[in-house]
Amino acid sequence: MLETLGLEYHYQHGKKIVFPEIKVKRGQRLLISGFSGCGKTTLLSLIAGALKLQAGDIKFDGINYSSMSSLLLDKFRADHIGYIFQTLNLIPFLSVSENIALGIRFSQSRKSKVNDLNQEITRLVKSLGLGKEVLTTPVNRLSVGQQQRVAVARALLGKPDLILADEPTSALDAETTKKFLNEVMDAFDSTKQAIIMVSHDASITHYFDTVIDLNKQHA
Amino acid sequence: MLSLLLKSMRSRIIPTSLVTISLMASMVLLLSIERIQQGTEEGFNQSISGVDAIIGPRSSSLELVLYTVFHLGRPTNNITTKTVNDIKQRSDISWLVPIALGDSHRGFRVIATQSNYFDHIKYGNNQSLIFLNGVAFSELSEAVLGSDVAERLNYNVGSEIQITHGSVESIGSKHDDFSFKVKGILKKTGTPIDQAIFLDLKGYELLHLGWMSGKKVFSLDDIDLSSLPAGALDPKTVTAAFVGLKSKITLFKFTKSIREYSKEAISAVIPGIALSELWSIVGLVDKGFQLLSWIIIAISLIAMVTLIIASLDNRKQEMTIYRANGASPKFLAIMVICESLVIGLVAIIGAIILVTIVTYFATNQLNLALGISPSFKWISLEEIKVFGLILFAGVLSSLVPAVMVFRKNLHQILS
Repeated sequence: MLETLGLEYHYQHGKKIVFPEIKVKRGQRLLISGFSGCGKTTLLSLIAGALKLQAGDIKFDGINYSSMSSLLLDKFRADHIGYIFQTLNLIPFLSVSENIALGIRFSQSRKSKVNDLNQEITRLVKSLGLGKEVLTTPVNRLSVGQQQRVAVARALLGKPDLILADEPTSALDAETTKKFLNEVMDAFDSTKQAIIMVSHDASITHYFDTVIDLNKQHA
Repeated sequence: MLSLLLKSMRSRIIPTSLVTISLMASMVLLLSIERIQQGTEEGFNQSISGVDAIIGPRSSSLELVLYTVFHLGRPTNNITTKTVNDIKQRSDISWLVPIALGDSHRGFRVIATQSNYFDHIKYGNNQSLIFLNGVAFSELSEAVLGSDVAERLNYNVGSEIQITHGSVESIGSKHDDFSFKVKGILKKTGTPIDQAIFLDLKGYELLHLGWMSGKKVFSLDDIDLSSLPAGALDPKTVTAAFVGLKSKITLFKFTKSIREYSKEAISAVIPGIALSELWSIVGLVDKGFQLLSWIIIAISLIAMVTLIIASLDNRKQEMTIYRANGASPKFLAIMVICESLVIGLVAIIGAIILVTIVTYFATNQLNLALGISPSFKWISLEEIKVFGLILFAGVLSSLVPAVMVFRKNLHQILS
């Protein structure tokens, strides 16, 4: 489904990173690990189409990123990718369900995959171990763990092909991390979707079928 | 997008509403000034009509108009009845109405004139004076009231009034030995006529029979009115005279020959010219205010853009989430522009409501001060243009933050 071809990135301050080739199939769970500063987030941004390619290319279902304008890439991201941030995933002045609905706000194709929006949101929230009452709770009263689950629900809504997660567990304690990942892996549809997660946490590798350590690549 | 935008703005309600209020207040200022100016000008120009010239003692034309039309200030000099009669004989004159000013009744000016005043003097767009109640005076002991006088002092046809010598009431200044009976009440005109009391010139002359140099020498009670010789009550002097010509073409020739009248120093004023002269002075002050309020609007718009730019930093999280979910930079830029549109529109709607209230009260004030009451209106095409211009300027200036948002790379936001 996704394939990187000779990706390189030159930072403005002179540092250059040559990324390993990555191939992701549907159903695959890929963990990209490594110390901070090794280019994990940069790689994720490149895959998300948020950062302009400098050298190399990314191929997604046969389409090359290099052939798309930034406007097309925005649309592509809306249609195919669900993104989860490290923290601060939610818009404070929107309700929980409005935050989740943002996932399909900018994509016709993801909208068409959802028949009954409220029903689907309730289903996702439940499958992530949250009670229905969080839907009406103000965002700033949710715990960090709850907020991250809401962010996952948004990324999963409308079944995008690829879920990208940038250290989603870094603000969670070990126990919550475990629970969180269990629920995410259960909620995620392994027949249609793939997940790429970035983390420096070595204790979570067993949730993934492939692990790429960016530090080792450099060595 | 609008619902997202409104929710986002609601989360920043305090700074947003403060900026909206300042923009609204500056628009209210501009529009009120504009409306009061227009209203005053309209009122000025409509306060007299149908009169081709005003003849009075030689003085500035402004002065003459101020006391004959607006009943402001006091006449410095009089003209003799002989001169007035001389002019009346001229072949180019259609009618002439003499007036004498000086007395008052409870703060309202008294105009002593002849009953043909009500036939010839017009207001607004050549509208004749109409009697709401009663008719014009026909005897020297009768009076006609302007509508405001009747309303405020609660007078009706048949009421008796006494006149005060001069314009201020003080002890001993009352003509308390003679009363006038209200014979007619005029319909409201929205001009200084509403605040005037009209008497017959002969009655006015009678009042002053016992007076010399502003002091009462003997009382009317001591005189047998029937024993007065014929012509004793014909005034020797009047303050001014309103004139209508047979043909307007002769107007300038007429005023020139009045200036050159050899027996007395008199002048003729064309009301329209004098009014526009008066307006050019008042209008200048207005122009200054107008300029000032445009500057204030510009400052408010700058404050709005400053607010939007300052809020962009706080809204980084919001913008990032939109972008990560596939919103294009165009979407964010449009959102920023729409924010200025929403602020502008809310401010405009608020301004219209406030201006309506302000002009309502200002109109009352104008009426009290100058006796003119401009027509009340909701919103003019001119004002819609002003609103459009302000809205356009707002959108134009919001392009600055919009471009800032547009240029921001998603990755810069992500990391």
